[in-house]
Amino acid sequence: MSQKIDVAIIGAGRMGQIHGSNAARHPDLRLRYVVETDAALGAALAAQTGAEIATLHDVLGDPAIKGVVIASSTDMHLEHSLAVIGAGKAALCEKPIDLDLEKAKAVAVAFEGAPYILGFNRRFDPHVTALREKIASGAIGDLETLTLINHDPAAPPPAFIPRSGGLFKDFTIHDLDLAYCLLGEPPVEIFATASCLIDPKIVELGDVDTARVILRTASNKLCVISNTRRSGYGYDQRVEAYGSRGMAMTCNERLDQVKVWSQAGALASPIRPNFLSRYMRSYAREMDHFADVLAGRAQPQVGYAEGLAALAWAEACAESARTNKVVKV
Amino acid sequence: MHKIALIGAGRIGRIHAANVAAHPELQLAYVVDPMEAPAKDVAANYGAKVSDLDGALSDANVAGVIVASSTDTHLDFSLRAARAGKAVFCEKPIDLDLTRAEANAPKFEAANAPMFLAFNRRFDPNFRAIRRKLDAGAVGKLETLHITSHDPSPPPPGYVAVSGGLFKDMAIHDFDMARWMLGEEPSEVFAAGACLIDPEIGKLGDIDTAKTILRTPSGKLCVISNSRRSGYGYDQRIEAFGSAGALRAGNVTESTVEAWTEGGAQADQFQNFFLDRYAAAYRFEMAHFADMIARNAAPEISYRDGVAALALATAAQASMQAGVPVQI
Repeated sequence: MSQKIDVAIIGAGRMGQIHGSNAARHPDLRLRYVVETDAALGAALAAQTGAEIATLHDVLGDPAIKGVVIASSTDMHLEHSLAVIGAGKAALCEKPIDLDLEKAKAVAVAFEGAPYILGFNRRFDPHVTALREKIASGAIGDLETLTLINHDPAAPPPAFIPRSGGLFKDFTIHDLDLAYCLLGEPPVEIFATASCLIDPKIVELGDVDTARVILRTASNKLCVISNTRRSGYGYDQRVEAYGSRGMAMTCNERLDQVKVWSQAGALASPIRPNFLSRYMRSYAREMDHFADVLAGRAQPQVGYAEGLAALAWAEACAESARTNKVVKV
Repeated sequence: MHKIALIGAGRIGRIHAANVAAHPELQLAYVVDPMEAPAKDVAANYGAKVSDLDGALSDANVAGVIVASSTDTHLDFSLRAARAGKAVFCEKPIDLDLTRAEANAPKFEAANAPMFLAFNRRFDPNFRAIRRKLDAGAVGKLETLHITSHDPSPPPPGYVAVSGGLFKDMAIHDFDMARWMLGEEPSEVFAAGACLIDPEIGKLGDIDTAKTILRTPSGKLCVISNSRRSGYGYDQRIEAFGSAGALRAGNVTESTVEAWTEGGAQADQFQNFFLDRYAAAYRFEMAHFADMIARNAAPEISYRDGVAALALATAAQASMQAGVPVQI
């Protein structure tokens, strides 16, 4: 490409640093601005990427800026998304779109047809992409059931819990979107059961740390989701897809591929410790997709509608766990 | 040598007959089966006599009876053997009717004979190693459990009709495994079932695919995945998630050979179905029966365990039908 496309980023926290450096090093993009309320964080990312510090107002008013990466705090995602789309720019927004389903529904119309990518990182994982391709090629026949394992390495600090939206909206939401993406049809029934087994402080804050969910689709495909906030052995990210003629499974990535045999047995290196390590390639591929959308080479693969649907299913999970009933969606 | 009578000379009866014959302390003395040809065949293989049940039970030298007949006779034959003072080795399930199984429990207690309900998977060396490591605290305190049990291909519809249904026939193994691993009785069951494989199974009122969640009073969760047809062999795995790590038992392949080509790495197939996959488990459970007879070992799995697994299967079926979690 002869000319780079100018983009900006809102948020220079943990996710902003990932997306900011991916945008800055992308061959088709030029990161022009960093918008961040925390001056030190903003300055650090700007210095690292060669971007300028700017206000949201400046970014929205600069016609040269074609796209904005939204990596602000969850409670600002929706407001920033509306502002960016409203200014006629493309957006790549971190998940979730919001924690309030009604609020998110009320503005959904603004996103219809908008160049808006919701960053459900699993969809961009090379292993998940390969799994989808194999399923689509008929490698396992017709997909019938699915098991998604999503176990965090260690429970978040209790202070994170109250603003997280709870396990289902914060964490399970990834699996709900992935289930939809792989099954090719939405759930019609959801049953969730949850426990607090890891940290009693989490239950004091009204949340849970361990859950199992069963989804059923209209054609009776079944999906099990397994979630825990603390595995004790790393970031466990696996998919098992069962079809009419076989099964396909994605395995965990390890820190290295070395295996050591000794008197005690065979020791494989630990699996990747956290999402930053595990999904680094997904974030890079998300940025590739954003560049493709900005360059007019692709339509968004996953957008506001998917974010809204996943949020509704996450609320259904929470309701099911609370009432101990199957929830129809 | 302790003399053993075998009731049932079918597929599983033949496995047990071979394991009795191979055991240094046991001798197959009688084979009981209403079908004359298989009874004669098995008896001839091991130098045993064909007999009716009364004949076998009235021989004071018979120390143990293996009940490997059809499911609907398990309870009656086991009770008759127990009342004759024989040690009993009974195939799963104990019965298909929970009320009947519960009502008969006191009769077994009154008979005061050692009764072993042979859930073979507890004797699989891999699953036993998981349990041993859990007990040793290798992954901290057990919190959640995943049991995968997928058959290679669905049984003929004729079998489905008399099987008692997927939960009582197939998942009952997993309910027993869950109880054994969790170390705590499940108090709630939710099961989602579907007929995705063979519409004939659905017409018979059964399902061929199920996902079940068990919950214990302390909040431990267990997921059981069942399918009557995997398309890739007999898939038998367990994952136990604890407070300090996880334990996994994978599938056993026919060989350890992998063929590496430009197309990838092709591992060998899984051991085919239960007779192969659980061959060692069947040997070990027979060794346990010999320990019961020769050394008064207490049965590792009791009649009450059989009833508890049946109660979970019954609850799972009710949950699936009603679409609600069922309390035990």
